[in-house]
Amino acid sequence: MTDGQPSPTNDAQIVVSGLTKQYRNVLAVNNLSFTVEPGRVTGFLGPNGAGKTTTLRMLLNLVTPTAGTATIGGHRYPALADPLRHVGAVLEASSAHKGRTGVNHLRVICAAAGLPRERADQALELVGLTPAATRKFKGYSLGMKQRLGIAAAMLGDPRVLILDEPANGLDPEGIRWMRGFLKGLAAEGRTVLVSSHLLSEMQLLADDVVIIAAGQLVRQGPVDQVIGSMAQGVRVRTPQADVLTAALAEGPATVESDGQGLLLISGVDAPAVGRAALAAGVELHELTTERPDLERVFLELTAGKAGIR
Amino acid sequence: MSNLVRSELLKIRTTSTWWWLAIGAFLSIALAFAFNAWLASETLSGGGEEFGYTGDAASAPAQAANLYTSGQYLGLMFVMLIGILMVTNEFFHQTATTTFLATPRRTSVIVSKLIAASLLGFAFWLVTTVIDLAAGAAFLSLNDYGTQLGEWEVHRALLLNLMAYAIWTVLGVGIGTLITNQLGAVITASVLYLIGTQVVGLLFLLLANLLDNMAVLKWQVVWPAAASQIMITPGENEMLPAWWVGALVLVGYAVVSGVVGILITRRRDIS
Ligand SMILES: Nc1ncnc2c1ncn2[C@@H]1O[C@H](COP(=O)(O)OP(=O)(O)O)[C@@H](O)[C@H]1O
Ligand SMILES: [Mg+2]
Repeated sequence: MTDGQPSPTNDAQIVVSGLTKQYRNVLAVNNLSFTVEPGRVTGFLGPNGAGKTTTLRMLLNLVTPTAGTATIGGHRYPALADPLRHVGAVLEASSAHKGRTGVNHLRVICAAAGLPRERADQALELVGLTPAATRKFKGYSLGMKQRLGIAAAMLGDPRVLILDEPANGLDPEGIRWMRGFLKGLAAEGRTVLVSSHLLSEMQLLADDVVIIAAGQLVRQGPVDQVIGSMAQGVRVRTPQADVLTAALAEGPATVESDGQGLLLISGVDAPAVGRAALAAGVELHELTTERPDLERVFLELTAGKAGIR
Repeated sequence: MSNLVRSELLKIRTTSTWWWLAIGAFLSIALAFAFNAWLASETLSGGGEEFGYTGDAASAPAQAANLYTSGQYLGLMFVMLIGILMVTNEFFHQTATTTFLATPRRTSVIVSKLIAASLLGFAFWLVTTVIDLAAGAAFLSLNDYGTQLGEWEVHRALLLNLMAYAIWTVLGVGIGTLITNQLGAVITASVLYLIGTQVVGLLFLLLANLLDNMAVLKWQVVWPAAASQIMITPGENEMLPAWWVGALVLVGYAVVSGVVGILITRRRDIS
């Protein structure tokens, strides 16, 4: 599934096409198109207010698009025969009745979806919430609430998982658990779409990323490719910084110096820097390619579009 | 659809709200019954004029009918509140997302709420009526007035009481879909039900005096709580429309609020 050529019978692919949502004053999502493949974790990235939640809610038929379509396995969400057996979702601003126990919350969903009520206990087991099953929701910690949301999403053993900012409010241990859980689901061949504004987390979790800003697509692709497509820097340590800087001045390179022998060079790759140094007879103590991390890529790609809208 | 109705009933069973409402309704039955029993014994022993009960209204069947439907006034408000909570809870506790993910066909969700609400209204009526019948029959026979259970007037009151319970629960669901803010819906509906009726009665009385035409009072029936009262009141005169006018108005409100509620819910963005 890594070749981006899914078969037409694929029932777990998400296709978003020309999706647009105009709220009264805000164009929350603007002609957005992307695809999400099974067997991989796809990170849906964007600064706060970029339109992630709105997009996911349109995908799930909770918000009506102004234009465009979103399908899961070729069907709009309400056209799925048994939606919870196809798709599980954990969304922001989704909760449980404060006075209802965790297991009863799940049983209500099972009843509505025509799932056997044992699934409620199994799903609690799956997320490690069995000890709190008969406690009321109002006594749950943030991490427990998030786990209950995941249990609800897993009730129908769905092929497609959609999560909106699942790491929000989790402690490091909770985040680690979530990461392992979602990677495991993708490894089983399921489609996992996770939105986040936390990039460091995505770098550890996602195989693919879809980056949006101000409601528009900025970049889509495998994490490595998106990072690789960005200008790379070369880091050089040398006692003859001035000589090397002068030698590189003829080419397309731009050089930053810290004045103590460390140079950060962009615009040329490491071999070119090495050749220039050799030709100029400059002694090198360090020569490394600096791969920008997702955080930097993200900030560069969304620069000027971020911020509150 | 039966899955959905089951789910709606489970939602109610798994929270304590409905217990509070049941306790409240039970207390109001107890109070109303005691009052109505006192009223009946006063009236039937000849003191009815003091309370404005003369002629038919002072008869044993009429007093029995009143006794057997004790607790209706507040009971109807309680079932209306249950109907309201069935909808507004989804927004107050942010469970609407979960509900509509499990069932993206929103019309089915609202219809199943209407069905579940009607079943609850029926259950409330049944329990209330059983309590009223047992206590009422005991009270009446102990005082040698006879149970009056064979009288059509009593049967009529019980059946119309059932109808009132069913309609008010449905009306509650409708109000909940129109005003999704829990506190707003509960306060608005309670005020309209409890206070609104007196205010409307007063306004119509002023209007009738102003126009020097007592028939204007008939038009109180456009007010749901007044319609409900008219539906359960026997007889008609120039100031009081027939019971079925009240019934039609009430059913009309239930249907309109249900349909408008469904239409609004289908379009609403859940975010
Ligand atoms: N129900 C709504 N009504 C009006 N504006 C909204 C609504 N929901 C979201 N928005 C606006 O749409 C934009 C995108 O919001 P959202 O999708 O929540 O972004 P994200 O999830 O990426 O933080 C924001 O500017 C937000 O204020
Ligand atoms: Mg969001």
